[in-house]
Amino acid sequence: MREVRKFKPSNIIVHILLLILVLINLFPLYWMVTFSLKNNDEILGYSYVDEATGERVLVPPNHVGLPQHWEWGNYNKAMNTGNMGQYFINSLAVSTSVIAITVIASFMATYALTRMVWKGRKMMNKFFMLGLTIPIHAAIVPVFTILSKMKLLNTYAALIVPYAAFSLSMGILISIGFMGDIPYDLDEAAFLDGCGVWKIFFRVIAPLMMPAIATVGIYTFLQCWNELLFATIFVSSGKYRTLPVGVQQLFGQYTTDWGPIGAALTIATLPTMIVYILLSKRIQDSFIAGAVKG
Amino acid sequence: MKRTFTYKLNIFLFLLPALILFIGILIAPIIMSAYYSFHEFNLVANTDMEYVGLNNYRILFSSMLTNPNTGKLYANSMYLGDALAHSLILAALSTFIQLPLALIIALKLSKGIRGERAYLSIFFMPVLISTVIIGRLWMNIYDPGQAGLLNAGLRALGIDKWLFPAITSRITSSKLPFTGQWTGFRETALLAAFIPILWQYVGYHMLLMYAGIKGVPADLLEAAQLDGCTEGQVNRFIIIPYIKPILKVCVIFAVTGSLKSFDLIYALMKDTSRAELPSTLMYKLLFLHQRYGLGSTVAVILIVLCFLFAMLISLAFRDKGAKVA
Amino acid sequence: MKKVCALLLALTMVLGMASAFADEVPTLTLWCIATESDANRPAYEAAIPAVEEALGVKIEWEAFENDSYKTKIKSTSAEELPDIFFTWSGAFAGDFATAGKLYCLDEEYKNYTADLPEVMLQNSTYDGKHYAVPLTMNIVTLFANMDLLKEAGYDAVPTTYDDLMACCAALKEKGIIPFGCSGNATWCVTEYLEPIIEKTIGYEAMNEIFAGRATWNDPAIATAVDTFQKMIIDGYFDPDGLSLDNDTVKANFIAGKYAFYQNGSWNCGEINDAEGNFQAALFPVMDAEKATYGQVIGGPNDALAVSAASKNPELAAKVAFALGKEICHYGYLAGSGLPAWTPDYDTSAVKPLVADVAKMVAESEGMVLFGDNAMSADPANVYLSYVAKVYGCEIDGAGFIEALTNELQ
Repeated sequence: MREVRKFKPSNIIVHILLLILVLINLFPLYWMVTFSLKNNDEILGYSYVDEATGERVLVPPNHVGLPQHWEWGNYNKAMNTGNMGQYFINSLAVSTSVIAITVIASFMATYALTRMVWKGRKMMNKFFMLGLTIPIHAAIVPVFTILSKMKLLNTYAALIVPYAAFSLSMGILISIGFMGDIPYDLDEAAFLDGCGVWKIFFRVIAPLMMPAIATVGIYTFLQCWNELLFATIFVSSGKYRTLPVGVQQLFGQYTTDWGPIGAALTIATLPTMIVYILLSKRIQDSFIAGAVKG
Repeated sequence: MKRTFTYKLNIFLFLLPALILFIGILIAPIIMSAYYSFHEFNLVANTDMEYVGLNNYRILFSSMLTNPNTGKLYANSMYLGDALAHSLILAALSTFIQLPLALIIALKLSKGIRGERAYLSIFFMPVLISTVIIGRLWMNIYDPGQAGLLNAGLRALGIDKWLFPAITSRITSSKLPFTGQWTGFRETALLAAFIPILWQYVGYHMLLMYAGIKGVPADLLEAAQLDGCTEGQVNRFIIIPYIKPILKVCVIFAVTGSLKSFDLIYALMKDTSRAELPSTLMYKLLFLHQRYGLGSTVAVILIVLCFLFAMLISLAFRDKGAKVA
Repeated sequence: MKKVCALLLALTMVLGMASAFADEVPTLTLWCIATESDANRPAYEAAIPAVEEALGVKIEWEAFENDSYKTKIKSTSAEELPDIFFTWSGAFAGDFATAGKLYCLDEEYKNYTADLPEVMLQNSTYDGKHYAVPLTMNIVTLFANMDLLKEAGYDAVPTTYDDLMACCAALKEKGIIPFGCSGNATWCVTEYLEPIIEKTIGYEAMNEIFAGRATWNDPAIATAVDTFQKMIIDGYFDPDGLSLDNDTVKANFIAGKYAFYQNGSWNCGEINDAEGNFQAALFPVMDAEKATYGQVIGGPNDALAVSAASKNPELAAKVAFALGKEICHYGYLAGSGLPAWTPDYDTSAVKPLVADVAKMVAESEGMVLFGDNAMSADPANVYLSYVAKVYGCEIDGAGFIEALTNELQ
């Protein structure tokens, strides 16, 4: 179908419709960045008394345009309230740890589920897939009790452990797809060479599972980078606070001042956007791979 | 004998990390929640667990019942009925508006349109933005004052003059006039919550479907074209049946996703009661009312609902040809 | 050269010792709700360094937004609580006290009996023991923009209900919105509803209901709710308020968008300093047989509590009292509250609007604590959920009393 890319008038209509969708997609983001650089007068509109005529002049808000006065100070305010840099690092630390744990645990489980022959492995697989439908929030009170008994509240582990547990099902689902593509001959050859299961797993299978890391990683990242409720309840000290909680808290600080709110929104969005723009094809491919394998 | 033992031990060791996490953090909490739901206690006050039998379920479900003596609903501020109805509406909106939209875009893009990759990248982008941020961004978009983008747009186009009175006349829950308070009324708050969800996730489903369509074997499509099938016929009889497994995944994600959604509603409106979902109701009962038994009961209901829907969807998609994952 | 070296060495040692000494300053943690946009912020910013200096401690403090703070502080386990934290007195602190999470302050209070009248501790006393240090006290105040009132032909804030309604009608005629109220934060709605109920049924009856000793099933309450709702339906409230937050509503009032704004007296300083001509008053009497003009809603409500799990509770208690006194001092002068502590400083600089409200408190003829603080968590939130429905005009007065009677008794 690709070859017959002829000029068709219907294509123009399709393009126009798609461009409208693009506009709907991007405009809120554009608006966010512009109001992060405006002051309240420009955002809300204001009025002043004209000295020459003595009449009150209403200046309407500037919604769509670029800022007339670029208020870079909004970014200063947003950065200086709370500790955005620290929160960002915390989020990063939590996410990477969760990805590491999820990858290791799900690769190992997948190996046992697909490469080792035993009774009940189908049942065990179904058991793990239950996790796909369990809503993370529904577990909050018991998990709180468990973490508190283990003295883990208010540590990185308070977030890493539950996030990893809730990412596990998806991780196993994706890994099964990827591991299925690895030929069984390799295991057999290694077995004949005298390798035990552990050696086969670490020397033969794990290196071939590298592409799966990206896919499992992206799904896991999406799950834990944004999580708000656990992060609010399980961590009370600012030392371990993650970005969504920090941003949410900042909104409480500037309720009427729109500029710093916009700046905070932009700061919190920017890093992921930059990574996405740089790696968009890889991210999409990994994402698609997960869907197809799953 | 020893061999089989070590083999079994190895299986166990390979499963161990996953099992510890899974049972400790997912399965045990479900059982604990079920246990809590028959009790009342206060996590702050460290009160003892008080066995209350089915009382928590009675409280929640009675809010959905009609009092035969008065013909009115039992007065109850728990609104489980509202929360369930809202989540069903949200699931229906996601399935019947979001997914078809995603499918149409995916079908168009996968046919090799110029710049398909760029379109794909842009549509997928909101998926990566934190839900808290999207909630707050849309809160500002909906702002009823001067600064709100949506109302400013409507005013600029002059649509507000007929749209607002039209909405006012449709609002039955309140006697107040609608002047652009999108999150302020029962009738509009849920829709106001759905739009950002649609905005964020349409790209997610689109990308999944796009991937599925790209996986349709080329010879199948060519054969259909040689038979003189129109584009619509190809879509309907070849592509859509072929990507059925992916559509199923999308429906499951969309439905359980709407049952689970919490962050967005929480960030979008401070008072969630007008768009109450089981998850926000649970949050309220736990951390505002400090009724941990009652909140856990909502958690149990939420888990049961999610399982129920996942099973129903699997059943709906089960037919002779398609394999059930 | 040697000398320089020695000097440098000595200097390093002195600095090292100084830093070692600095490390020994005990550190205490404090959580409060004095965020950037909060009226109490300046008082905290002034009081904390003063106390740090005076007692030789370091206070690490963090501020959270009001509504999220309520859930945060309640869901924090005992060990994770900071040494000192802000709390509302009444049943809110009571939940902590009965859970054994608060350090008893009776011992430390002995040093402050002269500065802090015991009556001010009344709302945070459980089983005869004192558990929190009051900061300021506040009452619900009816703020009026006199310039806008003048446009409608009024030189003073109406003191009777009929007069107030006539004034609202006149304001509406002129295209001025009489009232602004945030529907996003339900406590703001109670700032309107509770005075109306009080002025209808009287403060004694209302205290009985909040304490759970009397039922909500009082037709007079239904009448009060209907009165409030009639004002809403008649268009005396900004309809946008339904989904605006309180800070925006306050900003609108200060910017001259509304003629009246009824909210806590902690706003006095901010409104006093704003450009314009503002006055403070009370909501007029609805039923003269049961209530008088001088009855108010409020009390010593803001307080600091010390965590029972604090590593150094005696010091934390000492700091809490010192902080309470200083925050009260600076807060009173800044106009973010009325003093719970007897002033031992020059009060001639107190802002006029604050002085007016202080006079109302001094002459008050009865007081009812804010409903959401007077009741414990569960009934308070049931109550708030119906108050929200009242503001959204989803239930009427009869529905309100029926619902609360069924659910709270």
